[in-house]
Amino acid sequence: MPGRRTLLIAGLVVALAAVAGVVSAADPRPEIALTIEKDQFQPTEIKVKANTPFTLVVTNKNTKAAEFESKDLRVEKVVPAGKTVNVLIRALKPGSYAFFDDFNKAATGRIVAE
Amino acid sequence: MGGTFVVTLREGFEAALILGIVYTYLEKIGAARHFGYATRGGAIGVLASVALGIVVTALSGPLLDFGPDVIGLGVIFLAVVVLTWHGYWMTKHARAVKGDVQRRIDEAQATHRLWIIGVIAFTGVFREGAETVLFLWGLLTQATSTSGFASASGALLGLVAAAALGWAIFRGGQHISLQRFFTLTSIFLLLLAAGMFSTGIGRLEALGIVPQSSTAWDTSFILDDQGLVGGFLNGLIGYRARPSFVEVGAYLLYLAVAGSLLFKGNVSTPRPNTPEGKVPAHAT
Repeated sequence: MPGRRTLLIAGLVVALAAVAGVVSAADPRPEIALTIEKDQFQPTEIKVKANTPFTLVVTNKNTKAAEFESKDLRVEKVVPAGKTVNVLIRALKPGSYAFFDDFNKAATGRIVAE
Repeated sequence: MGGTFVVTLREGFEAALILGIVYTYLEKIGAARHFGYATRGGAIGVLASVALGIVVTALSGPLLDFGPDVIGLGVIFLAVVVLTWHGYWMTKHARAVKGDVQRRIDEAQATHRLWIIGVIAFTGVFREGAETVLFLWGLLTQATSTSGFASASGALLGLVAAAALGWAIFRGGQHISLQRFFTLTSIFLLLLAAGMFSTGIGRLEALGIVPQSSTAWDTSFILDDQGLVGGFLNGLIGYRARPSFVEVGAYLLYLAVAGSLLFKGNVSTPRPNTPEGKVPAHAT
């Protein structure tokens, strides 16, 4: 009889697989690169096609962790130093969506969907 | 320095407030000797935050892409469940408590649920804990420069200030009546849980698991949710300057369902037949 902890871990793994499955079940998404370098985002403005889901590939070239965050996009993703994180962004209505590095508020940028 | 101070003050205060409420609750129902439940829950929260911070730094690939999200969502919904449960029990207590005998009976019942207090303390710390750990860690690695040192000090001071505020709440809570404390915290925990439920659903919406909706309104001209006050309200009651319809709906749905659970019949006078065989007030 699996103990509570085993069930919890199993549940977590299933949830993880479910999330990964659901969000990647869509057609292959365009990938857009975003770099965190010297306390700034590169580029600071990203243009995307509206109503098209895409993947933001965020690479942190700094020596300390960063957190890609956007209130408008409801996204908070920790990007450890030297690592790359794929941020799946849903189809966006035309408009401007601001993002920032929660660990270094001076770094900001925006995604413009049109 | 001021910037990092405010960040950790806000994140630390959200945890300190929960802990302050939990400790005050235990004391008010005569269960002060069970403080350990809350302390252990909080300590496990700290350990889990540090552990997650270390693990995240070592990960890459899909586990890094989705892992923290799944854990974050899990903690949010777990918190909503235990906060709702606790709020419900608090209002049942408030109705029955009318003197010392009641307090002892309630305390006996409360012992069976003290592990929920521990879970509340845990979620209160862990909700923002891992993020705060990584934030601090990053600052400490840069503390060798003058500005880096100022930033790191500011952040640590923010945590100390948050702990002090939590302590002040605990001390202040001892001076208000049991009923008033229960009423105030019931309302606050209701809003806190509604905010967390709405945030969780909003994340599911952003992930595409919940159908998308458009922005319901924009009150950022009144109060920006990234500013000082707005940020606090965001963390405490889930205030959003630009909520989606789904988020607004989730918030209202939670308030309606949990609100009716908590406050149904709460304002009426004590009835002769109290539920579950509890000793009626007039029989003591």
